[in-house]
Amino acid sequence: MAMTDAELVAHARAGSQEAFRELVVRFERPVYSLVVRMVQDAGTAEDLAQEVFIKAFRRLDTYDPERKLSSWLFKIAHNTTIDFLRRHAPETVPLEAEKEDDRGSLSAVLSDESSENPAAAAERRDMGRALERAISRLRTEYREAVVLFYLEGASYQDICEATGLPLGTVKTNLHRARKELAQEMAALGWGPRE
Amino acid sequence: MRPSHHDPLSRWLDAERDGRTEDAEAALLELFAAVPRLAPPAGFANRVLLRAGLAAPVAPAPGWNLFASRWVRALLVLCPLAIGVSMFWLPQLLQVLGGLWGLGDLVQIGTDLVVEGARWLGSLLGFWELFLTIARALATPLATTPGLGVVVVCLLVSLVAFRFLRDLITRDRSWTHVESI
Repeated sequence: MAMTDAELVAHARAGSQEAFRELVVRFERPVYSLVVRMVQDAGTAEDLAQEVFIKAFRRLDTYDPERKLSSWLFKIAHNTTIDFLRRHAPETVPLEAEKEDDRGSLSAVLSDESSENPAAAAERRDMGRALERAISRLRTEYREAVVLFYLEGASYQDICEATGLPLGTVKTNLHRARKELAQEMAALGWGPRE
Repeated sequence: MRPSHHDPLSRWLDAERDGRTEDAEAALLELFAAVPRLAPPAGFANRVLLRAGLAAPVAPAPGWNLFASRWVRALLVLCPLAIGVSMFWLPQLLQVLGGLWGLGDLVQIGTDLVVEGARWLGSLLGFWELFLTIARALATPLATTPGLGVVVVCLLVSLVAFRFLRDLITRDRSWTHVESI
């Protein structure tokens, strides 16, 4: 039976490399997913995601088992990413401008052609790219809220803990982000049916 | 408007247009629910462990045994056989090798090596002397009180500047205050 997050943390604190490795494997996807959408650059995102886990490893003793581990990791990811963006934001390249074969990206996933006819698959791919582009155009705090809430399934409370924002602000950010996403989608030719 | 076959997208955009917040949120959640999160490149965990200074454990496959391979067992049998056979050729080989160099040749080679080594050592000592001269020239001003004072002041200024930069980078890094991790 798989160990719980708290058990893994306890083992990692006791010096178990395998426990820490399991923690990394368990949370590498959500952490990377958040970071890569924040910095918009795959190489930088991997570097920062590694940094997140190293910080977590060095500060395992400060983790409170009563809280969700994902929230704690998201908080470290948030701080690490904000630090980076403050220094390097102008140098990043939009994710959408990266290589075409972006396996695992929103566009690629939405363009899964296995169960669709070519026309539908092409439309799906276009829509995925449009959605990706729309997300990348959001303000950083809106983008972070969207990724955490809609992609990572974080609750309002999780987002509050990760970002340090009050609940009202988180809800407002999500509401405005959704509105802006819809506007961006409309601007990209994916407006609502008339 | 572009045609769309994707119900969640249409429902979301329609709901946004009509101001139905809950429907819009539900549709957008549904749209994203089928989207797996982005994954880092393979081997990410190993790289984290290495970067954290933790050796990545390389555990052998369960039940793995070197001697289970029949090729290894055959090789082990062949080794003593090969050694035994080579014994027949060994005396002749030594005789051939012995005929190549005489005692005088070996002494000459040894002498040449000692002379070359001494020459290289002399060159190295010359460089060492030059290094010492430069070091003495650099150290002379530091031996005086004003020189030492300048060095101490520079160190203090560097420390203060480093502290200031560190505070500047880590302070107020969120849009609101968050605990530092």
